[in-house]
Amino acid sequence: MKLTALRNMAFGLSAALTLGTAGAASAEKLRVGMECTYAPFNYKTADGELAGYDVDVANGVAGIIGAELEFVCQEWDGMIPALLANKFDLIIASMSITEKRMEKIDFSGPYRFSTGQMLGPKSKEMELFDATGNPISNNFKGLRVGLERATTYSNWFEEILPDADVVLYDGSEPLYLDLQNGRVDLIMTNPMKAHLKFLSKEDGAGFEFKGPVIDEEKYFGIGVGIGLRQGQDELKGRLNGALKELINSGELEEYALKIFPFKLHMDEWGQ
Amino acid sequence: MDALTGWWDDYLWGAVVVGQVFVCSLILMIVFGLLGAMAKISNSRTAQKIASAYTVIFRGTPEILVILLLYFGSAITLTAIAQIFNPEIRFVDVPPFWAGTIAISLIVGSYATETFRGAFLGVSPGSIEAARALGMSNLQTFIYVRIPEMWRLALPPFGNHMLSLIKDTALISIIGLNETMFVAKQAITVTGKPFTMYIVVGAIYLGFSTVVTLAVMGLEKFGERTTAGAK
Repeated sequence: MKLTALRNMAFGLSAALTLGTAGAASAEKLRVGMECTYAPFNYKTADGELAGYDVDVANGVAGIIGAELEFVCQEWDGMIPALLANKFDLIIASMSITEKRMEKIDFSGPYRFSTGQMLGPKSKEMELFDATGNPISNNFKGLRVGLERATTYSNWFEEILPDADVVLYDGSEPLYLDLQNGRVDLIMTNPMKAHLKFLSKEDGAGFEFKGPVIDEEKYFGIGVGIGLRQGQDELKGRLNGALKELINSGELEEYALKIFPFKLHMDEWGQ
Repeated sequence: MDALTGWWDDYLWGAVVVGQVFVCSLILMIVFGLLGAMAKISNSRTAQKIASAYTVIFRGTPEILVILLLYFGSAITLTAIAQIFNPEIRFVDVPPFWAGTIAISLIVGSYATETFRGAFLGVSPGSIEAARALGMSNLQTFIYVRIPEMWRLALPPFGNHMLSLIKDTALISIIGLNETMFVAKQAITVTGKPFTMYIVVGAIYLGFSTVVTLAVMGLEKFGERTTAGAK
């Protein structure tokens, strides 16, 4: 009797809040988490439309698996906690598949390269890497390095150059601002985004890439994938199937060509 | 200013959200503040201890932490509770609006608790004795004597709490509420014009806080209307 009353209370409460139940509904509804502030991969245009490579991938996958999507904007720091707290079902936010993240969440196969590259002012001579592409840790002394918090770039620095003078930022915009202000001498970020949003623009005219593209698999993973909670192998299988279909049909390449003059994936990923 | 083309409507809706959060959290903040103050001046030891714990915790922790804990923690806790009763339930979600509103009203409410407590203690004992002498009940004394004297004393610091509340709404963008700060971040990533976008946010908040300041000034005048001549 008492239990029924409690149960009814719980139901009343759940009715007031948003409630999700397991079991197949007519059209599967998936909530997708992304930053909405990471142009050109996921961002909101002035018209209020979500756009970018990640958004295209999300819609492409949804079309194939027949799911209905709802996008949720979430700051990067809280992306994995929000997935685990069931605020959404998938992360499609340019998140690299790394071992560290795999401890907490599961990933689909990759749909985009994940790399990093340093950026600094043209006016400053910097010899940061030797001929084989390894960083010379001594030459990082006295340089302030700007990085985004909780990213593959900050993990790489922690492991490879633990003594570097690192400044951590929330989001990529303040990173570029402080590079221009001179508050940091060097930043490490996504070279595709850096080229498009910064180096090719007026603000970025005085800056250039320093050193080679870094894509060590241990830190940068095999690429960017779709994040999901662990133990959803059936959903993961369907996501992987859909991604392969996008790669093999050439659709994924089209998404990339909308923004860049080159594709952002490897054809082998489709096999 | 060209950069702002197309973003005005987003800012407008962002400002509407700020207004909604402000109104809802103001009401909750007054409720929490009054409950806390009454517990603190009550004769019950337990109530006093609970109210002290409340003010110590919420005044002593960073606001952003409270917001994050409430947003992520509440969803996980409520889901776990709901699953005890019905394992079919996959998640119970607390929307960012309510998680954020409750979080900032709890924080500012803890400051208001102290303000209200001080104001209640500031009500002159003579007034209360006079009310008793007239045969007023406790409830009547509370409504007709304590509250009218108390709110005049509490108003100036309460104005400050309202300003804190307005500004704290900017923190809620971290849990994904589409308020002006969030609009600015989205606009910056597309236009690459951080200063313009943040200045608009500043102007919007300045507008809100000016309204609050003027309202408090007006209320102070209203409160003094009968005593002003006596000074």
